[in-house]
Amino acid sequence: MGKENPAEKTLNLIRGRLCDPTFVFRPLSGSSDSNYSKLKFIVSTSITEGCNNSILLLGPRGSGKAAVLDLVVGDLMEEYPDSVTVIRLNGLLHSEDICAFKEIARQLCMEHHLLFSKMASFDENSQFIIAMLRECGLAHKTIIFVLDEFDMFAQGKQRLLYSLLDAMQSVTSQAVVVGISSRLDADQLLEKRVRSRFSHRKILFLPPSREEIDSLLEHLLSLPADSSFPSGYVSQFNEKIKNITSDSRFKDMLKTFLNANSTVNSLLKFIFRAVSSMNLESGLLSLENFKTALSSMQRQPKLEAVRADCSILELYLLVCMRRLEVKEQSSYNFISVMKEYKTIHDSFQTSDYYAQNVCLRAFEHLREREVICYAENRGQSQAGEYRPMKLLISASELHQGMRSHACCPAILLKLLDH
Amino acid sequence: MTREESSKVTRRSIRLASSVTDENPEPKPSHPPTVADLTFGEESITLDALLSNFPGRRSQILDLIRLIGPLDSPSLPIMVYGDASTGKTSVALQVFRHLNRPFVYSSCRTCCSPRLLFESILNQLLLHSKCSSNGYASAKRCDKPSDFVNLLRQALSDVMETLGRKSMGKMLYLIVDHVDLIKDWDKGAMILQFLFSLYSVLKMPQLGIILISGLPPDVYYSNMGYTDPLPVYFPEYSEDELRQIFLKTQVNKKLYSAFLDVVLRPFCRVTRRVEELSTTFSSLFRKYCVPLDDLAISPNEDLKRRLYSNLKPHITSSLNEIFRVSSRPHDGDTKGERRQKASYSSENGEELEILDFHMSTSAKYLLIAAFLASRNPATLDASMFDSTGGMDNRKRKRKASEKSMEKKEIAEQEAVMKGPGSFPLERLLAIFQCIASVGDSSFGEEEEEEEATGYDKESNNMMSDILLQVSSLCDANFMIKSGSCPLEGSIRYRSMVSEDLCLKVARSLSFPLSKYLYRR
Amino acid sequence: MAPSTTIADPQPSSTTDSSNSNAAAAENDIRPFFVLHKASSGKKSTGTVRAKRRIDSPAPKLAKKSEIESTEVEDGEYFSTLRLKVFETVWSKIDKTIQDVLRDSHSKVFSGVHDWICESFESIRSCGALSLSEAVRSYPVLSQPSSKQLFTALVLTRNLEMVDDLLTFEDLGLHLKSQGCHVGKLSSMDFSTKNGVGGCLRGLLRQFVMPTVDVADVTILASWYRENGNHNNPVVIIVDDTERCSGSVLSELILILSEWAVKVPVFLIMGVSTAHDAPRKILSANALQRICATRFTLSSPAERMDAVLEAVFLKPCSGFTVSHKVALYMRSYFLSQDGTLTSFVKTLKIACLQHFSLEPLSIMLEHFCQDNQPPGEGTGLLTEATMKHAFDLPSVTRNKITRSTCEMLPQFLLDLQRMPKPWSIVVLCIYEAGKFDKIRLIDVFCETLDPEARYLKYFSPSASLNSQSHVSGRNSVIRRVLRKLRDFSPAQLSSLLKSWESLTAEFSEISDKVMELHPLMRNVEAAGQRPGLPSSPKKHASRSHSKLEKELKAMTDKVSAIIEFMLREYMKPVETVPFNEILCYKNVDKLQSALLGDPRGRIQSDLLESYNILHCMCCSQRGTSLLPSMHDTSILYTLAQEHADVINLHDWYQSFKTILIPRNSKAKLKSKTCSKSKKRKDRCEEPEPEQPAEASIQARFCRAVMELQIAGLIRMPSKRRPDYVQRVAFGS
Repeated sequence: MGKENPAEKTLNLIRGRLCDPTFVFRPLSGSSDSNYSKLKFIVSTSITEGCNNSILLLGPRGSGKAAVLDLVVGDLMEEYPDSVTVIRLNGLLHSEDICAFKEIARQLCMEHHLLFSKMASFDENSQFIIAMLRECGLAHKTIIFVLDEFDMFAQGKQRLLYSLLDAMQSVTSQAVVVGISSRLDADQLLEKRVRSRFSHRKILFLPPSREEIDSLLEHLLSLPADSSFPSGYVSQFNEKIKNITSDSRFKDMLKTFLNANSTVNSLLKFIFRAVSSMNLESGLLSLENFKTALSSMQRQPKLEAVRADCSILELYLLVCMRRLEVKEQSSYNFISVMKEYKTIHDSFQTSDYYAQNVCLRAFEHLREREVICYAENRGQSQAGEYRPMKLLISASELHQGMRSHACCPAILLKLLDH
Repeated sequence: MTREESSKVTRRSIRLASSVTDENPEPKPSHPPTVADLTFGEESITLDALLSNFPGRRSQILDLIRLIGPLDSPSLPIMVYGDASTGKTSVALQVFRHLNRPFVYSSCRTCCSPRLLFESILNQLLLHSKCSSNGYASAKRCDKPSDFVNLLRQALSDVMETLGRKSMGKMLYLIVDHVDLIKDWDKGAMILQFLFSLYSVLKMPQLGIILISGLPPDVYYSNMGYTDPLPVYFPEYSEDELRQIFLKTQVNKKLYSAFLDVVLRPFCRVTRRVEELSTTFSSLFRKYCVPLDDLAISPNEDLKRRLYSNLKPHITSSLNEIFRVSSRPHDGDTKGERRQKASYSSENGEELEILDFHMSTSAKYLLIAAFLASRNPATLDASMFDSTGGMDNRKRKRKASEKSMEKKEIAEQEAVMKGPGSFPLERLLAIFQCIASVGDSSFGEEEEEEEATGYDKESNNMMSDILLQVSSLCDANFMIKSGSCPLEGSIRYRSMVSEDLCLKVARSLSFPLSKYLYRR
Repeated sequence: MAPSTTIADPQPSSTTDSSNSNAAAAENDIRPFFVLHKASSGKKSTGTVRAKRRIDSPAPKLAKKSEIESTEVEDGEYFSTLRLKVFETVWSKIDKTIQDVLRDSHSKVFSGVHDWICESFESIRSCGALSLSEAVRSYPVLSQPSSKQLFTALVLTRNLEMVDDLLTFEDLGLHLKSQGCHVGKLSSMDFSTKNGVGGCLRGLLRQFVMPTVDVADVTILASWYRENGNHNNPVVIIVDDTERCSGSVLSELILILSEWAVKVPVFLIMGVSTAHDAPRKILSANALQRICATRFTLSSPAERMDAVLEAVFLKPCSGFTVSHKVALYMRSYFLSQDGTLTSFVKTLKIACLQHFSLEPLSIMLEHFCQDNQPPGEGTGLLTEATMKHAFDLPSVTRNKITRSTCEMLPQFLLDLQRMPKPWSIVVLCIYEAGKFDKIRLIDVFCETLDPEARYLKYFSPSASLNSQSHVSGRNSVIRRVLRKLRDFSPAQLSSLLKSWESLTAEFSEISDKVMELHPLMRNVEAAGQRPGLPSSPKKHASRSHSKLEKELKAMTDKVSAIIEFMLREYMKPVETVPFNEILCYKNVDKLQSALLGDPRGRIQSDLLESYNILHCMCCSQRGTSLLPSMHDTSILYTLAQEHADVINLHDWYQSFKTILIPRNSKAKLKSKTCSKSKKRKDRCEEPEPEQPAEASIQARFCRAVMELQIAGLIRMPSKRRPDYVQRVAFGS
């Protein structure tokens, strides 16, 4: 019991760290040439100079763009209290202009303790925003517009971007537009009138280097010495961590994982998984945890679907479709698959030959598992068994899956190779 | 006698009503829902009970519990995925019952539109229940993701602080079931993106998100904005896991296991879905127990053998059917008739293939005409339906067989791909006229005595309501209107009748169908 | 009932009948029609109706009317109104009978459905009642092994046509409502792919919860079900035409409902009009999985029709009956046209109405209806004219009855009234004998109505029963019955005997004969008992076998003898009885024309002889040759007869013009048209500035073509062949 408690506390602590991006990205922002300092420099200049600015943060998903920005904004808010206002929009939510303007107006009202009327029309909102921009400009307050999923705003008529940037040029305002996007060509999506008003400053987020990762692991996993934990436990735990991370097998695991997906977030997931499977009795992490985590993170769903989910009959159908594809039959539907099935049965006298409706049900199961699907969407008027089908699973996956299947008849494998 | 029957029925229903009312009292509108309703409350279960409830799900349950983590520890979004009826939903719910933590559950099966989904989540968070007093309206009206996020933030923070006051932990969990159905909604891709990035959009780590999906994560990759949650995979049950599951609820385990020894293996080759198997097995087991007088006995070897021997035919039959319709004792008269029919059919065979629903003669001819029209190539009509009544299609056949094999192959494939061909109404009517006249002549020589029947069929008056018959055939799905042909604007039809049904109809008219059917 | 109402009542049949037979009316029997509108003219209120009548009663008849001497007109109209009243009473009687028959033909199935609902409902409740909190929770119930099976009743209406059964399902809904279930009805309209599952859910909620629900949310249903005691009764959803629903939506609904099956015990009732595995073709595999289906079978249309037939014609109902030919026609109409009871009843009604409107003597049926009166009263109604008419009825003249024997008229009427009783008894007896062979009553009915009684020849020694080669009787029912008699089992024989007794109870002559069977039956049973199982004579040990055979033989011979006796003695077909015209309707051709008034054919024939309809002097005598004064449309259609199924518009137009423009101005037109003919791509749109005649001709041509298209006789040019129209209808 006495031993259980620190273990859980450790678990909570580390999980809390993993779920808190600002904590994660703090160490990465130390050095002078890091994105953090670049971004901070730009924004702070526009605050101090009282000028407008616009930046794009580009990088793959989960490389910590938003997190770094949050760090910067947080620090700036401490440095310049009550002269920074942050408006956050998300392309997923506010891609259409009306609700984007509404949202901006709403957040401005919340910031400045005005009351916001839902009924306000599009024009009223936009006028209100411009007025606010002017006001803030006069009051030397900087408004930071954070446009997450920037490319979504670039869809459609881009009225939001245009009116924002236009207002920033015309009115004497201080505003920074920070676009965050995982599309590296985000600025190419902009219309000419918008692009001309957009300063093409971009900050690129790259996957972390080896050293960074090591330091990150250190930073994430090691317990602080000065804490309520029993000291022996802390040293023991950190010791364990150290020799795990230094272990070559762990390094290999890490390499294989990073080869698959190299962003920080995926790494966090990996560690999260490993940590959450920590043994609470011993209260220590082990190499096994990471192994299991790796295996559970790297999945091949299609392969699993064949190996674990498919019944023999469904395997038969898959093999029939595969054979039809090998025969270069241009397209096939359920009826032709049934023909193939019948020919197989006639030639080999297999034990499992079932009625058509049973096969049709198996067919539907395969379809809702998305192992197979209809070749084209048109032709709903056609009854299902006549619509052309196609496999969504590669031959190699099929092979592998059937080999590792619990009770796959040998004849099927033979038929697959023929 | 029906009178007294019905009276008896009413009496029973009354008794039932009374018995029910005292056993479950009227809901008191006074009791308002509290935060405690977000948890399972006192009806929590131990880990062992949980594990024993779900044979073959041990690893998944433990994995899920670990990922959810100890009390008050934040967690990343989790996705539970696996095939249908592999216990995803019930495992997830039971896990929460075990942990006894507050959660919100919404199924996209029940909430079949974004608005319903959002509103049901908000209703549960705001402890709002639809009832007649509030006109079955939901607490907040919201159908846009943007509004939803704001409302959700608000509601969450409220609930959190009440939870804090009640010291029920700092975590709330959101379970969204049947996520895969969202793909079929309109603008479903949008909603999916939103759902997957909800965690990062909210930035509230005290909300744990659990998505339950019938499809593996890789089918969602196509959505941009997809950051994959931690996957937990529920594979299909293996054979002996199925055995444990089925044995779990049985009273006489010995007998049932003997039964399972017989049936489980063959059926697992077809499907391993629990619900499909259970419906089949329940009916089979009844048949299995027929010879037994008391169901408590533990069968020995030869008894097993005997039981197996008289189950065997049922097994093969029910392996090949997916839909069984039970009949009622009340339906006795028709059943008796059916038995009688069987006895007759033993005497004269053609009654075996009797048509069990009524069609008017012209409708039957129309059905056959449609079948022929969609099976035969239109170019052959002239030769099929000349005066000699399709005598020369034998020649046609020979010519067809003279075709070189691979061309035939290709033609066949095309035919299979096309399915039943489509035809304009005019062609249908022409064929109908031909075969109807043929059929009547064949009738004519039979009943030359009752020449009075000359009043009915094959008077051109019949044209007047043939179109009506066509429409009623369409209603019965025997014909479907396929898309109108681009060249001339006329609408085209397509016959959906299976060959054996058509043969039945032809037999009931004593119409020589095979003579007119062109076989490649 | 006031005569005015009989005219003004909106019964479709009455109006169609009058108009149809109006079209087909021969010269001599115009009486009913102008009498009809005269009768209406009596009332001020029905002025409109009268106007209508005026319009559609054609000119020659009006002319003809003037010739009829006034007296006959007077009593003619008096009697005809009277007859219409009689029709009302008679028909209401028949109609009521039919309704009753149908109701108790279904009541069995209905109560069956209700019992099934009660039992399954109890089985659900027995799993333990839910508390409110867990019943309205958003997640499925965990405490019990939650079964996701949705109880479903497949009600097989064994008929392709839905017409009869729409009412049936209405009644079923009412029946269940009266038993306290919550009943909701969905039709295929609600299952449209456009609205998706939301549409039908909304429909359900509006029916169950309240009409103003706008969100399609099942949870509303659940919480409603938990409120003020709703949860004591099951929820029933009736989908009457399953085949027409869109399968995807229906399957989705089933999936959703089955998710909630424990909290809201829903019972689905699906009307299936074709084979009982129709759901398998429509629904998806998952939805099928959730259905726990039970089959209920309604009585097939043929059975229902037999029941109606028996109640209307064979049981004492309303004296009205039909002749052999009419019966045959009705039968074949039922079989070959849409085999719905509705159409059968319609036929019956039309026949009845025509009978009353055509046959003067039919007025006496009133007295046949109330049977306690002596029919002699009826004679009082007969005036001189009708008397004369009565005594040159074919049936009367055939039986050598003259005015001299007038005083014994009541006697004739009396036995005319008595006649049907033994006759119907005999028919029913034969039907009973045929039942084991699934013989339809309508067949027996038709055959026994045969005036020259062909069926008797099966008893003549020449026609040995077991000779299959004998073609004439192949599909004669009675012959079949006689043949089947020989392989009856004792059990069947005894049941037959019982039914005969009950049938012939109140008719001593036949029942005596039937009584004579009993000793034989006893012998048979005795022979049957001795060897263990008396089920069927074939499976017996040889010695007892022979004995039983002998007894059976004797028995069956006796039975057939009795059948013959009955046929010979009492089977006096209606048509042979004098004055049968009072009861019996014979005019098949009128009935046929009234039933299928073939509109397309009519349009075409009218177009071809338009001068018959618009009686213009100029073209009526000139026969078929086309004149410019004729109507354009009919000219065009007559011209179209010369073409094949595609008509070149240009040639058509030319020939049209040649008819309209007299010879002399032909030449210059020729030049014009050939100059024009290259330009003209489509026929009429561009009115080139020509001489006015040309333009107007084009205009008239266009209008005529349009009219032909609207009449559905031609189809407009297609993209491929812009200057050809296609003829759609051929051979009026």
